[in-house]
This record gives sequence, structure tokens and C-alpha cells, in this order.
Amino acid sequence: MTTIIENLVKRFDQTTALKKINVTIEDGEFIAILGPSGCGKTTLLRLLAGFDSPSSGNISIGDQRVSDNKMTLPPEKRNIGMVFQSFALWPHLNVRKHIEFPLLHHAYVPKDTSVNISKRVDEVMEIIELTELANRMPSELSGGQKQRVALGRAIAPKPELLLMDEPLSNLDAELRMEMRKEIQELHRLTNATIVYVTHDQGEALAMADRIVVMNKGEIEQIGTPQEIYSRPNTPFVANFVGKANLIDGMWEADQFTPASNPNLTWPDLGVSVPLKKKGIYPIRPEQLTLMEDDRGGIHGVITSVQYQGKEIHYTVQANGQAWLVHTDLMQKFQLGQQVTIQLKVSVREDNRNVVYL
Amino acid sequence: MTCNMKNNNNREVMPNLALHSLFSNKNIFKLLGIIAICVFFLLPIFRLIMLSFTSDGTISYGNYTTILQDASTWKVVSNTLIVVAGSTVISLVIGISLAWLVAYTDIRAKRLMQIFIILPFVIPSYITTLAWTQFLGANGLYVKLASLLPFEVEAINLYSLAGIIFVLGFSHYPLVYLLTVSVFRKIPRELELASRASGAKRWATFRKVNMPLALPGIVSGGFLAFLANLDNFGIPAFLGIPAQINVLSTYIYQQVVGFGPSAFARAATFSVILGIVALLGTAIQWFFLRKSKRLETTMEDKQPRYYLGNKKLPVEIFIWLFFLVTGVVPLISMGMTSLVTAYGVDFSLKTMSFENYQFILTTSSKAKEALGNSVMLAGVTMIIGIILGTSIAYLRVRKPNFLSKFTEVSISLPYALPGTVMALAMIFAWMEPIPGWNPDIYGSIIILFIAYITRFLILQVRGSITALMQVDLSIEEAAHVSGAKGWSKWRKILVPLLTPGVLSGAFLVFLSALTELTVSSLLWSSNSETIGVVIFGFEQAGYTTYSTAFSSLIVMLIILGFTILYLAQSYWNRKVGKRT
Repeated sequence: MTTIIENLVKRFDQTTALKKINVTIEDGEFIAILGPSGCGKTTLLRLLAGFDSPSSGNISIGDQRVSDNKMTLPPEKRNIGMVFQSFALWPHLNVRKHIEFPLLHHAYVPKDTSVNISKRVDEVMEIIELTELANRMPSELSGGQKQRVALGRAIAPKPELLLMDEPLSNLDAELRMEMRKEIQELHRLTNATIVYVTHDQGEALAMADRIVVMNKGEIEQIGTPQEIYSRPNTPFVANFVGKANLIDGMWEADQFTPASNPNLTWPDLGVSVPLKKKGIYPIRPEQLTLMEDDRGGIHGVITSVQYQGKEIHYTVQANGQAWLVHTDLMQKFQLGQQVTIQLKVSVREDNRNVVYL
Repeated sequence: MTCNMKNNNNREVMPNLALHSLFSNKNIFKLLGIIAICVFFLLPIFRLIMLSFTSDGTISYGNYTTILQDASTWKVVSNTLIVVAGSTVISLVIGISLAWLVAYTDIRAKRLMQIFIILPFVIPSYITTLAWTQFLGANGLYVKLASLLPFEVEAINLYSLAGIIFVLGFSHYPLVYLLTVSVFRKIPRELELASRASGAKRWATFRKVNMPLALPGIVSGGFLAFLANLDNFGIPAFLGIPAQINVLSTYIYQQVVGFGPSAFARAATFSVILGIVALLGTAIQWFFLRKSKRLETTMEDKQPRYYLGNKKLPVEIFIWLFFLVTGVVPLISMGMTSLVTAYGVDFSLKTMSFENYQFILTTSSKAKEALGNSVMLAGVTMIIGIILGTSIAYLRVRKPNFLSKFTEVSISLPYALPGTVMALAMIFAWMEPIPGWNPDIYGSIIILFIAYITRFLILQVRGSITALMQVDLSIEEAAHVSGAKGWSKWRKILVPLLTPGVLSGAFLVFLSALTELTVSSLLWSSNSETIGVVIFGFEQAGYTTYSTAFSSLIVMLIILGFTILYLAQSYWNRKVGKRT
């Protein structure tokens, strides 16, 4: 049962929020839609949910065509569940009633579940570990508990597709890490297909089977977290996900020569073909190292130093651009100090397997 | 968009916003809605303006040239301006001072104070006036208390310009207070602290930070007080007519009840002049607000910011004395008058009698009928208001487009217009809805129904909008995703969440319609007298003991209503718990 999004376009008055989006989501897959604010990710989710209708294009959930040029099914007629950024708990209903609500109303509750609603409610309460708090009102719950009620409400009717709209962004940092684990666990237990919208690349990398990176209404890249992180296809992905420095220069075979330093050559550490064609070398901050200013390499001045505990983040001004370099605590440089930037690389004998640190 | 539910196995075409399954068949509804709004809300005003430009069946400026050349017109206009300016200043001074004390200082019992501040707002102004005249009259408590003092205190004559200004100002300060206190509380205290940390003293901080930020609230409150003072009929009618002091609202009334060949045309012309004065107020409001910015904070910070220290007790005593003298004592004086056997007899526990109440409740059919009429008018207006007003509010909040904006502005017009103007417009619109056809709407209670619903609908719309704004869209979307649409969404989610907010709007509609005087004083007929009309009639005929008894009864009913509303709301709050 796959969810298929074909040539999806959404225009608002003046702007085009989505430009020809094509994604196929496999059964049981955890997909993260990642992008900065205004990239169209929430619009895409709202079209999947049925809160808006597309300007053109089709959406199918399982064997159900939910949106095409002629019609759009309203959310209550789709086989979906949704977790909202603001939790959207109903202040006048207690925890148990929240879980029960979709079981009474949802159009696609499986037969075996709908005959014994209270059994399913108990089951879900167990999963979200709130059995003891069944009679609490939303105002009497902590942030994490509210989040779990929202999750429980969404999974209770066993929907084909589970939509999550930045569900962790209203929680504090520590709880967010905790809830990542719980959502992963939930995915494992329910085997639900999940579309998870976020602007936090950490969440997407940590939880998703595949990530869809979006920018300005278009998909930049679709891939596994490893692919997205280490083999970005576009400068945007390299910068947004890996915080990479984008260096202009020449690619010849597997050798890169920075435009600013024609005497240097860098080996291919796994750069994607599209970026090579553009003559760009993306280097993430941890792939660089700093030396005293008497070696061969790129010379620059340190303009900012941020001590992070397990590493130090430097900004180095060199060749007219700001380079981000993360080094370990052994290397200490002063603000304003002249330094040399070098690629931190060890090349194995066979020259094919390049190991990057 | 059209529906093809039948032929497309349970799938329906969704409009852009897939949320209002209650409002399908949209185009027909849209058209009907626009027509209804034009007929009920816009056409009457248009007809009124047209009539002012009609003399002897032709279009001309004749009415204006006659009226503007009349010296008494200018006397009335200048009286109106003096009264409105003076009373608005009083409302502003009292409203802002109380708002500052309640919002920022550490005085105690603020909730209780709030009730006393609202008091002049919920008790109809003609009853307040009656109470004041009893308090300050020849046999009133004031004279008795003054005679206890060792020195001479001059008697106060309320039947004067100053008297009208005074009672108006004291009746309408709650409007200034309510808008100002909330905006004061919304100013983040960090902004004040930042100003203090930058070296500004308290007063400079208040002047340079709080005042500019609070200006939108203060000016809107002042504008509402201005409109209320301009619009008010009860106070100048009770105090001005006996002293032959006229303001525009009472002058229009006298034109209409005086009849004569050109009465309606003259009244229409004066109404347009009154409308122009109201526009003047709008211009002043625009001038003050043209540069101000709205606060983005929505949270009200209720913690005190200024500690009064050893001044606290004197300030509190002063405030409570203020409430006692301006709120409670006049009502007690009125109650005392209602318990004497004949006007002029001194009140004492021995001579106390309930025969005035007996007259009102059993002997006189007038008062009973009026009570029945007003309760029915208010009840029907409230129920239609809840349904219509909440539907309009829903569209306005969830579908903010030109049409819903147009609807809201049109609906607010009959309320923004002075009551006398509104009543006149109703007469012209419904006397002969289609020229040549008189279905007897004017002259029966039906015109009062139409007038009340059009006039007070906006109160319900505003109340329901406020209630809806507190229900985040995602709360509704969560219901949709869970499979609840249309009716089950409203029944299980929206109705329980909106009820308290909608009810306070409905209560305001009920109260306003129940005690309304201005509109009904022009629209009543022999079988459709309202409470206000009957009290006014008693007072004009000199039956002060009856008017005070009836008024006291109404005050008690209002207090009872408030108690019930308060209990209902606290019950709801307990049931639902605090909102998240």
C-alpha cells in the first residue's frame, strides 16, 4: 500500500508553494520532509491531509485516489492520522476520550478494532504509557504527556498514513531527544507509514528511512539519511543538512582544484555527480583542520571562536569567503590568528576506498 | 463549486478550504446572504439619507437650508458638542485612572472592583439617571447627609447641561476602563524595565513607553465612550427634556413624536447631521491612531508592577468610597423612593410599603405587558443572534475574505449608528418596504424584532469571534483527521469549547435588548411597549414612585441574571478544567 504523489502543484494568490512534486512513499516507510521555513513542506503535508486542495496533480493513499484535478477528498474521508505541531488537544476532553474519539468517527477503523473500541483504547493507552492518567484533562498534563496523547489519538484508528507536522518543536531540548526514541519505538510497534515534517536535520537524520529535502517549493533530493548527509546532490542540501563549505573550482577526473588556489589538488571524498558538474566541492566543517600559518594550504584569519565542549567551532576568513571549521580540543587558535586550512583526509592504499573522518 | 456526491461514490468536491461542511451549496447561500445584508442593514440607512434630501417629493437641499438657518439648530448642535466633549473627558479620566490602578498596582480585591466598575455598564443609563435624581433630589439622601455637615453644602441640580455631562461621563467610563486595562496588562513589563534600565524615571517611563503603547486601547475606549455619549437618549431625555435642554438625540425624538407635515424629513436631516458628528469622532480616532502600532503580545500580565506601600490603604478606601457614592448609594436612594407611598413622603422603615410594586406587578397591565414584551424581544433576539451571529463569526474567523469583512462591517453599522438614527431608518425602511405596500410592520411589535436583531447582532458576532479565536484551527483539523465532520465536529468539539464565550455574547445581547430605550421610544406602538418605554412614560407623567419601583425590579433582575451567568460559567470551568 504505497502513497503516491504525482506532479503536485499548489499555487496561492501570487506565489507557487509547490512546483511539480513527485514522491512515492512505500508501505511502512518513515519519510522525513526536511527544509527551511517557507519551503513548502507544511503545504505538502496539508495537501496529504486534505486541509487544502492542490492546484494540479494527483495524490493516492493506498488504493484510494484522494486528490486529482477533479476532486479532493476532505480529511475525514481519508485513511490518515495526524499529529499537530501545537498538539491540538481538545481542552474539554480527557485523555481516554481523546483516544476514543477517532475510533468512534474515523471512517477506516478496521472491523476487528471497531467491534471492541474500549479494548483498542486500552491497547493504545498502554502503547503511549498513559494508562494511569486516563482521566486527566489536557491542562493537567506535561508537555511530553500531551505529545503522547496526540500520538495515541493519531495511531488509534490504525490509519494507512500517519502525518506529523513538526511534532517535537514545542518541546524543550531534552524532551525532544527522549521523544525521538519514542516515535521510533512507535514506528517499530505499529509499522505505520509515517510522513514527518521537520526543519531540524538532526531529527530527520536520526529517525527517517528516507529524507525528502525541500527548498522553495521543489524537492532538492530524496535519499537515505547517509546519502543525504554524505553525498548531497545540490549545494542547498550540502549546506542545509551538512553545513558544508561550498568551494568553487575545477573537477578533473577525481581531482579537485579550488579556483582560488590553483596549486592545490583535493581527492574525491564522495562528491556527487551533479555537484561535480557544477564545479563545487562541498566540505563539511569536520572534514577540515587548521594549521599554524606556515604550511601549504589555504591561508586565512580566524574571525570567530566558539568553544563547544567536545570540539571548537572556528570561522576563518579566507579567499573572500567564510569557512566553518570544527576541530577537536587539541587545536587551539586565537581570534585574529593567521592559520592554514587543510583537508583532513587519510587515503588508503587502494585509492578507491577513501575514508573521511 | 458544485457537489457531485451521489454519482461519485461518497466523494465530494472540496472547495479550497475543506473545513466548512456546514456551508455547502455555497453560491446560493452567498447570494442570499448578500441580499439579506443589503435589505436589512444597508438599505434602511440609504433610505434615511435619501429622505433627508427629499422635500415635497423632489430631491433638494431644502431640508438642510431650512434647518441650518434655524438658530435653534445651532443651539442643539453646540449643546451636543459640549455634552459629548465634557462627558467623554470625564469617562477618559476615570477610566484611565482606574485601569492604571487595577492593571499595575498592588491594590487588593481587584475582581470585586471589576464587578463594581462594570455596574454602570450593565444597568441601563435611564435607570442610573433615575437613581441619581433620587439621590440628589429635594428629599434625597444627599440633602439629608449634607444637612448633617456643620457647613452649608449647595444642592446639586442635575437637570442642567452639567448634570447631563456628569451622569453621561459616569455611565460610560467602563468602556474606557475595559479597553485600557487589557492593553495596559498586555504591555510586557520587560519594556518598562528596559526603559528604567536606560535611566528613565517612573513617570518618564509611563509617558514614553506605556502611554504610546496603550494609545490604541485608550483611544478606542474613548471613541466608544464618545459614541455612547452622542448616542445616548435616556440621560438627556430624563434630565434635559424637563429643563428644555436639547441635544441631537432628544431633538430628533421630539421631531418625530411632534409629528407635523415635515416631521420625518426634518428628523432624517437631523439624523444625517448627527451621523456627521459621529464621523468627526472617527476622524479624531484615526488621527490619534495613524502612527501607533498594535501590540503583538496577547498574554495579559496580571502581576502588580507598582507597589503603593503605605499609600495602599488610602487609595483602596478612596476607590471603594467612589464605588459606594457613584454606584451603590444612588441605587439605594432609588430603592428608597420606590418604597414610599407617595412622591415627596420621607422614607422611614415605618412608612415603608410595597404598594408601588404591587401596582407594577398586579394592578397595572402596562408594566406586565412591557415586561413580557421585552423578555420575548430579548429572548428571540438572543436565540437568533446565537445561531446567525456564531455562523457569521465562524466564516469571518475561518474564511477571512472580502465578503466576510463586508458582512461584518455592514452588520456593525446599525450598532454604530446613534439609536435614534437607527430607529428612524427602520421606520422609513419598513413602513412601506416596497413603496405603496404597507404590511403593518411599523405599528406592530415586528418592527422591534427586526430593529433589535439588526442592531444587536454585531454584539453576538463579536462575542463569538472572540470565542472562536481561542479555538486554534488545529483543534478543528484534529477532529477532521479523526473522522468527525460537520455536525459531529460541532456537537462534540466546537459547541462545548465555544459555549462559555458565545454565552457571554448572548447575555450581552439579551441585556441590551431587554433594557433598550432609544430605539423602542420611537418604534413602540400601543401593544408593543417595552420596559424602557414604560419607565420613561411613568417618569414623564410624574409617577416617580412607579418608575423607581419598576427600575428597582429591573436592577434586581439584572443582578439575578448575572449571578446565574457567573454560576454557570464557574460550573463549566470546573467541569472542563483550565484551558491549555
